Amino acid sequence: MKERLFSVLYMFVLALVFTSVVGAVNWVSRERIRLNQEIALQRIVLSVLDLLPPEAISKKEMQAIFRRRIRSLPFGDRTVYVAVAPEGDRVEGYAFPVSGPGFWGPIYGMVAVDAQVQKILGIAFYRHSETPGLGGRITEAWFREQFRGKPLHVPSPGRRFFYLKPAGTATGPDEVDAITGATETSRRLEAFLDQELKRIIPLLRQQRPTGNV
Amino acid sequence: MAADSAKSIFRKGVWGENPVFRQILGICSALAVTNLMANTFIMGVSLIFVTAMSNATVSALRRVTPARIRMMVQVLIIASYVMIVDIVLKAILPEISEALGPYVGLIITNCIIMGRCEGYARNNPVWPSFLDGIASGTGYALVLLIIAFFRELLGFGTVFGHPVMPSWWVPWTIMVMAPAGFFMLGLFIWVAYQFEKPEEKKVSR
Repeated sequence: MKERLFSVLYMFVLALVFTSVVGAVNWVSRERIRLNQEIALQRIVLSVLDLLPPEAISKKEMQAIFRRRIRSLPFGDRTVYVAVAPEGDRVEGYAFPVSGPGFWGPIYGMVAVDAQVQKILGIAFYRHSETPGLGGRITEAWFREQFRGKPLHVPSPGRRFFYLKPAGTATGPDEVDAITGATETSRRLEAFLDQELKRIIPLLRQQRPTGNV
Repeated sequence: MAADSAKSIFRKGVWGENPVFRQILGICSALAVTNLMANTFIMGVSLIFVTAMSNATVSALRRVTPARIRMMVQVLIIASYVMIVDIVLKAILPEISEALGPYVGLIITNCIIMGRCEGYARNNPVWPSFLDGIASGTGYALVLLIIAFFRELLGFGTVFGHPVMPSWWVPWTIMVMAPAGFFMLGLFIWVAYQFEKPEEKKVSR
C-alpha cells in the first residue's frame, strides 16, 4: 500500500515538474512563435499579390513592404488584405485566405484578385498534409501559376468557378490541370476552392473595401 | 558495465550497435526526413539532444523511480524534452520546423530513445548515460546524413542547398519521395555489412 501511494505521488510530482518546465519554455517563446507565424503569413500575402521582388529579401525589408502596401481589414468571416499602390491613392488588389478539407487534412491557401475583382492575380497553398510528391504538389509553382490571370466569372447555378481537368487536357478559361496521381486532393481542392470563392467574390465585388486609401 | 569508457560507448553507439543499421530502430523518421540535408541535420541534432538529456534524467532518477512505473516515467521525460525541442525550433527555425512537420513531435515514439533509457540509462550512472545518449544519437544522425547526402544530391542536384551537379543533370524525382528512403537504407546496410570484420560476422549471425 505504502509503495503504491509513493508511486502515485512520485508520478504526480514528476509530471508537475516536467509540465511546468515545458510550460515555462512555451511561455518564454510564445511571442516569438506568434511573430514567426505573422511573418510567414505576410510573405504569403505579398507573394500572391506579386509584390515581392524576384531576388531574396530580408525579413525587415519584407515587413517594410507589407506595412507600406498592405492594409488588413476584417471582412465577413475572414481578414482581407488590401494592396494599395505605392503612392497610396488606389487599390491594386485583394488577397484573402481560403481553406477546406483536403484528402488527409485541411488545406490552407491564399488567393489574390485584382482591384475590380475580375481576375485572379495569384494563388498559394501554404499549409496542408497531402502526400508529398503527389497531392503535396499543390504548393508547386507550375500548379499555382495556372491560376494567374484567370478571369473570374461568377458561374451559373450548378457550375463552378474552376475545374481541375486531367493533366494536359485543360483548355477553357475556367479549367486548370489537376495533379496526376492525386485525384482525391484535386477533387477536394476544386470543391472547397469553389465554395470559398462563391462565398467571398460576390461580397468583394459589391463592397470593394478600400482600407481608407 | 558501470565503468564503460567514453571511447567504447562511442564505438558502440556509432558503429558496433548503431541504432539505425544494426538495430534497425528509428526507421520511420530515417525514411521521412532524409530528402534534404539541412532538415536531416536539424532532426539529428534534436534527436541527440533528446536522447542524451532523457538518458541523463532517467539515470539520475534511477534509484528513486519505482520499477513498475518506470515506463510511464520514461515516456513523461522523453515527451517533455521533445516538446521543448519542438517549441524552440518553432521559435528559432520556423522554416525547418515547418518542413519537419509532425516528425519532431514523433521523436517521442522513436524507439532509439526508449531503448537507450530502458537498456542503458536505467542501470548506469548519469555521465556514461549522457555520453551513451550522445553516441546513439550521433550514430543515428550520421547514417541519416549519409542517406540524405545521396538523396539530395541525386534528387535535387544540391548539397545542403548548394547546387553542385552540372547544369545538364536531370534530378531523379524518385529520390525525393519515400521509396528512395527504403532503397538507400537497404543499400546502406548492405555496404555497411561489407566493411565488417570476418570474426564480427560470425558473432552477429
